[in-house]
Amino acid sequence: MSKVFYFKLAFTNLKKNHKTYIPYLLTCIITIMMFYCLSAVSRNSGLDQMNGSESLKWILKYAVWTTGIFAVIFLFYTNSFLIRQRKKEFGVYQVLGMDKRNLIKMEICETVITTVIGLTVGLLLGMLFGKLMFLLLLKVVQFPVPLSYSVEPVALLQGTLLFLGIFAATLITNLFQVGRVKPVELLKGESIGEKEPKTKWLLVLVGIVTLAGGYYIALTTEEPLTAIPKFFIAVVLVIIGTYCMFVAGSVALLKTLKKKKKYYYKTRHFISVSGMIYRMKQNAVGLANICIMSTVVLVLITMTVSLYVGIDDVIATRYPTDFKTEIYMPEEGAKERADQIVKEEAKTADVIIKDLAEYTSGNLACMFDGGNEIVVDMTKVDENFSTLAEEYCQLILLPVSDYNELEGTDVTLSENQVMVFSSGSKPYTADTLKLGENMYEVKEKLDSMRIEEGTMSNVTGNIYVIMSEETQMDNLVRQYGIEGANALSYNIEFNLEGKKEAVSSAMKKMEGNISNQIGESARIEIREEHKADFLQIDGGFLFLGIFVGSLFLMATVLIIYYKQISEGYSDRDRYQIMQKVGMDKREVVRSIKSQVMTVFFLPLAAAVLHLGVAFKLMAKLLEIMYLTNVPLLALCTGATVLVFVVFYVLVFAVTSREYYKIVR
Amino acid sequence: MALLDVKNVKKIYTTRFGGSKVQALKDVSFSVEPQEYVAIMGESGSGKTTLLNILAALDKPTSGKVYLKGRDLSQVKEKEMAAFRRQNLGFVFQEFNLLDTFSVEDNIYLPLVLAGKKYEEMHKRLLPIAEHLGIMDILKKYPYEVSGGQKQRAAVARALIIKPQLILADEPTGALDSRASDELLNLFTQINQSGQTVLMVTHSVKAASSAKRVLFIKDGQVFHQIYRGCQTNEEMYQKITAALTVLTTGGELK
Repeated sequence: MSKVFYFKLAFTNLKKNHKTYIPYLLTCIITIMMFYCLSAVSRNSGLDQMNGSESLKWILKYAVWTTGIFAVIFLFYTNSFLIRQRKKEFGVYQVLGMDKRNLIKMEICETVITTVIGLTVGLLLGMLFGKLMFLLLLKVVQFPVPLSYSVEPVALLQGTLLFLGIFAATLITNLFQVGRVKPVELLKGESIGEKEPKTKWLLVLVGIVTLAGGYYIALTTEEPLTAIPKFFIAVVLVIIGTYCMFVAGSVALLKTLKKKKKYYYKTRHFISVSGMIYRMKQNAVGLANICIMSTVVLVLITMTVSLYVGIDDVIATRYPTDFKTEIYMPEEGAKERADQIVKEEAKTADVIIKDLAEYTSGNLACMFDGGNEIVVDMTKVDENFSTLAEEYCQLILLPVSDYNELEGTDVTLSENQVMVFSSGSKPYTADTLKLGENMYEVKEKLDSMRIEEGTMSNVTGNIYVIMSEETQMDNLVRQYGIEGANALSYNIEFNLEGKKEAVSSAMKKMEGNISNQIGESARIEIREEHKADFLQIDGGFLFLGIFVGSLFLMATVLIIYYKQISEGYSDRDRYQIMQKVGMDKREVVRSIKSQVMTVFFLPLAAAVLHLGVAFKLMAKLLEIMYLTNVPLLALCTGATVLVFVVFYVLVFAVTSREYYKIVR
Repeated sequence: MALLDVKNVKKIYTTRFGGSKVQALKDVSFSVEPQEYVAIMGESGSGKTTLLNILAALDKPTSGKVYLKGRDLSQVKEKEMAAFRRQNLGFVFQEFNLLDTFSVEDNIYLPLVLAGKKYEEMHKRLLPIAEHLGIMDILKKYPYEVSGGQKQRAAVARALIIKPQLILADEPTGALDSRASDELLNLFTQINQSGQTVLMVTHSVKAASSAKRVLFIKDGQVFHQIYRGCQTNEEMYQKITAALTVLTTGGELK
């Protein structure tokens, strides 16, 4: 038999099985497309122009690999489903006189056809559709994004290799399946596949443990900086847990229900429980995929939307005042000169200085575990402190004279007395304080400080220590500060009130004059100027969030569609029998509805639950990006969930119409 | 009073867009007395299945009436139809129509569960039937794990458990080998002897020869009927074959 013959045969086979193969092929195409799009975006050269692109690239890479893993799981799973349905067909071929070598050749030809179609169409669409979506989104979001979408050869190669690998692996498993069994068994293949699933208690246990672990981590993380690594541990645990619970947990629950005779033998429960057991057996992996993808979409969009909507908050947190200058190791007279510049420019521009704070400070990195010692000698840290990130914080030393000026108080401190204020999650409670070699008596534990209000304090936590003399501070900073940060600084912070143009021109002039007259030691931050940067970064995040989110959403929609169609064909016979045995048409429709609803809204419910649990962790992650507005995050979460649910219901409504058409 | 009374039933199928009309049943009248065992025979296309569907109230006749225990089937409301069928009619199909998602036991319970019966009652009803049909040891198994004959016996149990007025069997031996067929037909005879009315549609001479009365349908009409009287199965077989020969060659019967 010639090669052409096998291809012809393979082609007719695919055509004959188009009802199941077209959705499969579509799944392949969309998965490849998605993988390529993500991979291409993560290699985008425009990313480098964005601040924080390193972490962004890392997140995108993570997304690329997640998609890859999804692709493997999902394609394997749909393929095994397909091949099971076709076992009978292979049996017939064997009975008709094809030997296993012939069958293998035929299988290879089929795989070659699907692979070629899947890869070419998928990659082409990835390039075209990705570009289209990119341009469309650029139009929609209305802000400059330094990204462009071009053909990425590396991404093409990566996609091709990965999917060639997947297809080769599925082919091998198919060949194993077909090659191993006898024709008689093949002829029975379909009905054997209908066996009632066994309860896998071990998997249930693993599921419960991992899910509980993931949730526990998510709910108990307090320190923003530790949130990042913990977030990923929690994600992995929850993913494992979700798969286990969908695959084994659902079956275990249903079988327990089935054992309760009083519950089981009721008209409604009888049909739905037994039906659900089989549905879960066939759909568990698909549903778990939908659940995880939905969660990813929700988390991604919620976070990026929050960042973008909360941009004013972000800036207010990062830059508490309109203008701030920090003069490091001020030379003789530098302080006075800076003060003078500020006041003169404000006067000439006719704007009023508000909330002025002028103070000398010494900054040190330190470790604080809630005890009576603040460790400033960072070389000793590893011996005494277990987790670096959780106990790391910023120590700010202030002279009591400046403190009195700032707060309008009249406190006096003796040489070995201090006042302490901790803005982090651990308040300072001890009555003594050990700083390096020195012991101090804590005269007062403060509740608040003006210069701390509205800043990003919660991220790392600042500890303020008010000391009697600047010289004490200077000694400490000299002794324990690292090179380049071992001297005191002079800070001027204020807001300006007046006409908008006047304010911004005044700040420009102050900036120019201070840099000219004081030189490089003066660092200047003008909130307004940074706003544009932040708009760009957060806009970029939002853009990518929506891009990746819509990719995942598309995949979700496709899986739902595929599930509905394949379910429809397998359910049709069952419902026809039930009608014959005396089940009302309305009862049939009601039963179908409730089962289909359960199956498709279960992942959504689980995804929303995951999101709810992840809320705290998301809030902590956003704190690192200077967004501390939790109500805003809650609002964005609610809105995202709402939009997503509407979308989901819409997709469900459309696809279930198709389903009813098949079943009736 | 007859248990089942079929009067001048006519069925015409119209193709969907009002095109050609096909007459499936011209004018069928017959009645079935309680505790009878009736077989209806006819070639494929003679209208057997149409007739059975009408008797089962799965389909409505174009004209004519069907009475079950004096009740006009066309007067049963659409809403009550499923319940009516569940309470009065037991079905045995050629393809068994057992659900793979249920164990044999649960398959038998299905109509009772649909009727909202309690588990204890269902279980009490099942035991004697299962014992009689010899399916006690396969109750916990699934349909795909048992043989064709066992499946059909399970289907018979499902029909019997509702204590129906009438059992309607559609080619019950169609998918069985000859031994399983014999067993099933014996079973039908026994069930009938214990007082159950059975109506079977078949084109198998052997199946028909186990009945007490055989009706022949041709071209949508009852063409002929044979009563068993005290004849043996073999004698019935001969008579039916003879009748069929006439039926197919188109001659007249005396």
